[in-house]
Amino acid sequence: MMALLVAGSSLLGALVAAVLACVPGLHVYNIMALVVLGAHAAARAGVAVPSECLIPLLVGMTVSWAMINTIPSVLLAAPDESALFTVLPGQKYLMRGRGQEAVLITGAGGLAGLFLLLLGAGPLAPRLVPLAETVLRPHTHWVLWAVIIFLLMSEWPKGGRLSAGGWATFCDGWTSTGAGLLTFLLSGLLGFALLYRSPINPGIAFQNLMPAFVGLFTLPWLLLNLASSVEIPSQSGLESFRLEARRVLLGAFAGGLGGGFAAFFPVVTGGIGGLLAGHATALRDDRVFLASQGASKIVYYVGGFLLFFLPGLHLTRGGSAWMLSGLCAPQSFYEYDMALASIGLAGAASFLLLGPLARVTLSLMARFGYRRLSLSTLGLTLALVAGVTGMTGLLVLAVATGIGLIPVLMGARRMNGLGVILLPMACNMSDVGVPVARWLGLL
Amino acid sequence: MKGITHFAIGLAAASCFPGAVRAGSAGDPLYFILAGICGVLPDTLDFKFTKFFYKSDILVIPDPLRPDAQQIADAVSLAVSRALATGRPVNLKLSTIQLAADQWQRYLVAFDVPNRAVHVQYGPVVDTGGNPLPHLAPASIPAGRATLEAGLELEYLATTTIDIFDGPVFCFEPTPAGRVRPVFIPWHRSWTHSVVVALLLALCGALAWDLLAGAVIFAAYAAHVLADQAGYLGSNLFAPLTRRRAPGLKLTHAAWPLPNFVAVWLALLLIFWNLARATTEGIGHLNPVRYLFLAAGLPVATFMVLQKPPKDES
Repeated sequence: MMALLVAGSSLLGALVAAVLACVPGLHVYNIMALVVLGAHAAARAGVAVPSECLIPLLVGMTVSWAMINTIPSVLLAAPDESALFTVLPGQKYLMRGRGQEAVLITGAGGLAGLFLLLLGAGPLAPRLVPLAETVLRPHTHWVLWAVIIFLLMSEWPKGGRLSAGGWATFCDGWTSTGAGLLTFLLSGLLGFALLYRSPINPGIAFQNLMPAFVGLFTLPWLLLNLASSVEIPSQSGLESFRLEARRVLLGAFAGGLGGGFAAFFPVVTGGIGGLLAGHATALRDDRVFLASQGASKIVYYVGGFLLFFLPGLHLTRGGSAWMLSGLCAPQSFYEYDMALASIGLAGAASFLLLGPLARVTLSLMARFGYRRLSLSTLGLTLALVAGVTGMTGLLVLAVATGIGLIPVLMGARRMNGLGVILLPMACNMSDVGVPVARWLGLL
Repeated sequence: MKGITHFAIGLAAASCFPGAVRAGSAGDPLYFILAGICGVLPDTLDFKFTKFFYKSDILVIPDPLRPDAQQIADAVSLAVSRALATGRPVNLKLSTIQLAADQWQRYLVAFDVPNRAVHVQYGPVVDTGGNPLPHLAPASIPAGRATLEAGLELEYLATTTIDIFDGPVFCFEPTPAGRVRPVFIPWHRSWTHSVVVALLLALCGALAWDLLAGAVIFAAYAAHVLADQAGYLGSNLFAPLTRRRAPGLKLTHAAWPLPNFVAVWLALLLIFWNLARATTEGIGHLNPVRYLFLAAGLPVATFMVLQKPPKDES
């Protein structure tokens, strides 16, 4: 009976998150927050939700969202000509009418990432993670600074190609690099403001940073989709395609490293982990890159959540663990094994749903048009932010969108927007957060 | 080596100083921040500053719509002739050909030393990752060939592939023997890749902070210079005392995935080893042989197997 409850909750979570993951701009944490708030309310009313229901439900949602979210991130992120050098492999596939293939390659990488978690991390983590945690915990702050330095220093100038040298060449070359630095700085300041004097009502549980993230990362490309004249070519129906196991495994290797790094270290996101692993393994093949993105996302989101269930450690990495930590504290391998089982079930279900949902999304794109779909997504996103955080949230959203547009328009890395959490958290971990906030007039 | 490799090696160098590790565990990130910055600094100076101020005497911007390999070959020949005639170095920049957001027209410039000639051949259209795009195969473009007025004294590769981002500069230097020496990207690995500069920076660091900061700066910066020396291009190791790049050991290419991954991974393992040794909490004894075999051997072997393309692909 208990096994059925676990399986049913995992599959329910996977199904709900699979549908919601197709909506761009909607993060699984938004929905999980509602579930957790509901569980809190039930507990206050004297009805405790059993952990055999809550844990598989949240694990299933996390796994499925990490797998299926590939669909909007590939199919609804077409680049226009201003993208210069920043066209990602998924966008290339989309612009060649092979978006569904890109989704499935990423999904294959995600599946390989799930196997890494279940067969590699699952049995090894209880032995290795406590050792790594003991050794690295006092050094987390400088690791974060190191990540920031690499993020900023590894963005090479893209302009200045066609001139003979001098100040004009220098200024042209530094346009994108300077825009990246500016984005990081401004988003870092926004992060400080939200952390130390947030205009958003603190009573809005788990959603304080939501408008900032939506503004920095989601709205800029939606606005770009609407403003640009980009036309998505007709996407070919996919019957079969060849994908070599070596490429998927290489992608999973790189993605596993990046996702694992991001899952273990607080504040480091899957995108940063993927960037580091991509540099370290020098991936150049588009299919390997796509597979690595799928693996990295799964290992980051699901692996980070899995750390929470390691008995005796209580590591809260990522939003899922953070939200669940208020409701339960795993004590034994019972919860850990239950989480692993849920990962397997929800992973299988979500991988099977990936193809059909990609086809549904493509047919919606064909029926309503790319721009109309972007417009309705924009409306939905604004409504969601307004509904959860009110008018103040919309104001934060507007500021964040302004910052998020800088790298989009100037050809810099969008990841620089992660300064919103990286800068204040790194300062806090090095005990300089409060003096900086005071200097900024926030305290 | 790639940026992340230098970065990881720089951090690993800092972790070898117990004082830096102690400061890190006490909440002071200074030494590791300095190490990370100085690990990448030589290339940052080259690619973000020096490169833009290096003047070209002849700038070749091939027309994307009218590909003309002969024009490029003629420009190379002109640069050689001018260097020979004036007795002064002539800088020639060969720009890349961008066709669309993610499409570049590749071309190859080959110095034919025995025949005193240069050959230019257009290649496939490639994406920004350098992968050929077969569906965009260009129509057959005639190759270009030009004879050179002087013999060449090569110190780097005879063939240069030009495709993505920025194109290379060649400095054609006349030699006392009446030949011309093409120096590949002369602005790179010049004064910035010098152990003397590392010492000067270390001195500044020691004055600004403390001796440990100076030592960390020197270790990270010098590690960059030495790691690059494993490649083909070499570095001007003792600038400003010396003026030319010392040839590299030719053990690896900077962009090869395997040496970069191995270096990054070993650097990370060294960092972990040094942090583990310094930790005060009981973590038991790390067996170095097991550590090296399991943590280094297995991942490196896995990557070696996976990154090697099968015979039919290679």
